[in-house]
Amino acid sequence: MKYVDCFKYLASRRTDELVITSAGNSGQAWWTTTRDSDKTFYLDASMSLSTLFASGMACALPKQKFWAFMGDGAFCMNPGMLMVERQLKLPNMVHLLVSNRAYGATSNASLPNGMENDYGAIARSFGIERVFVFDNLKDLSRDFDKVMGRNVDAYTFVVLEVEPFTDAEQRLEQPPFDGPELKYRFGRTLEQMAGIDIFGYRI
Amino acid sequence: MSDSTNPSKSRDVAIRIADQLGEAGVKLVASLPDNWISELIREIDGDARFRHVPVNREESAIGLCAGAYMGGMGSAALMGASGFMTTIYAMTKINYSYEIPLLMLITLRGALGDHHKHHVSNGLYLKPVMDAISVPYLVIDKPADIPEIGRAYHHSRTYSRPTIVALTRDLLR
Repeated sequence: MKYVDCFKYLASRRTDELVITSAGNSGQAWWTTTRDSDKTFYLDASMSLSTLFASGMACALPKQKFWAFMGDGAFCMNPGMLMVERQLKLPNMVHLLVSNRAYGATSNASLPNGMENDYGAIARSFGIERVFVFDNLKDLSRDFDKVMGRNVDAYTFVVLEVEPFTDAEQRLEQPPFDGPELKYRFGRTLEQMAGIDIFGYRI
Repeated sequence: MSDSTNPSKSRDVAIRIADQLGEAGVKLVASLPDNWISELIREIDGDARFRHVPVNREESAIGLCAGAYMGGMGSAALMGASGFMTTIYAMTKINYSYEIPLLMLITLRGALGDHHKHHVSNGLYLKPVMDAISVPYLVIDKPADIPEIGRAYHHSRTYSRPTIVALTRDLLR
């Protein structure tokens, strides 16, 4: 399926989920689709840590739901992250693996063993039970409620098989935030939503 | 030379470190093992004040703890010196770029008292690497200094970047 079309669909189904994007294409696609500057944390080039970053938040805020995107380029750098996620088994966490079979953020450079990697099988081999793979919008929209609808309370791993960005899509705007700005925009929103204190400082 | 331990001393030190973390407000501890901190990891794992998360690699601890901070939960990353050396990109990318605090407890491998030749690289480069990335660190080598851990945690919040506490063999074994 088309990368941006997939993100448009997910954005249309989002309710109050907080979103974490990975470097490059997923941040571009989500920013292009949503222009969300408060309830999305665009994590830049962490090289495989976006879903664990989200998991830390999901541990802290069990009543809040999180969608975390990760490209398969990042995933291949640290597939063992799924051992940690399986161990945590956070019911408020959806790991969305965006599989374009390329290093999308670096001009679609080749991914090792790119077309052969079976991400769903990798996840199942770690003991993850709720594993779903979609390669078209029709199936994704048909099964969305069952897989990651707002009534689902179970750690879920979703593979989204998408086409790599075109040359034109590679030029989509990057989320235009410096790190500290993003931290405070997202964090202040979270403080209000969840009634928590993130940045409080006391002498 | 042996790397023998004094179980009673190690346990006492582990309890005191855990108490410091608990009093500082740490609720999530992500760890990877090093022999010197095996007793401390056991202590934290059995302490109901903490959610202990064994992780697959040290960088994963960086991501997890950064997220916990953004969710308003106090956290700490516990690892050996070699593991710390693998985290430089993750730490500078996430914690420095976004100004996210982090307390890291590491072992001061390669220093005087470490009998293992395979830690020569840490003896040579651990401190220079910490200096190179301008991360504040303190060395704790006696039980009387364990309360500094709480101060290091709070300093990371003030400084909005990581602080590191390096634990020596003399303290832990």
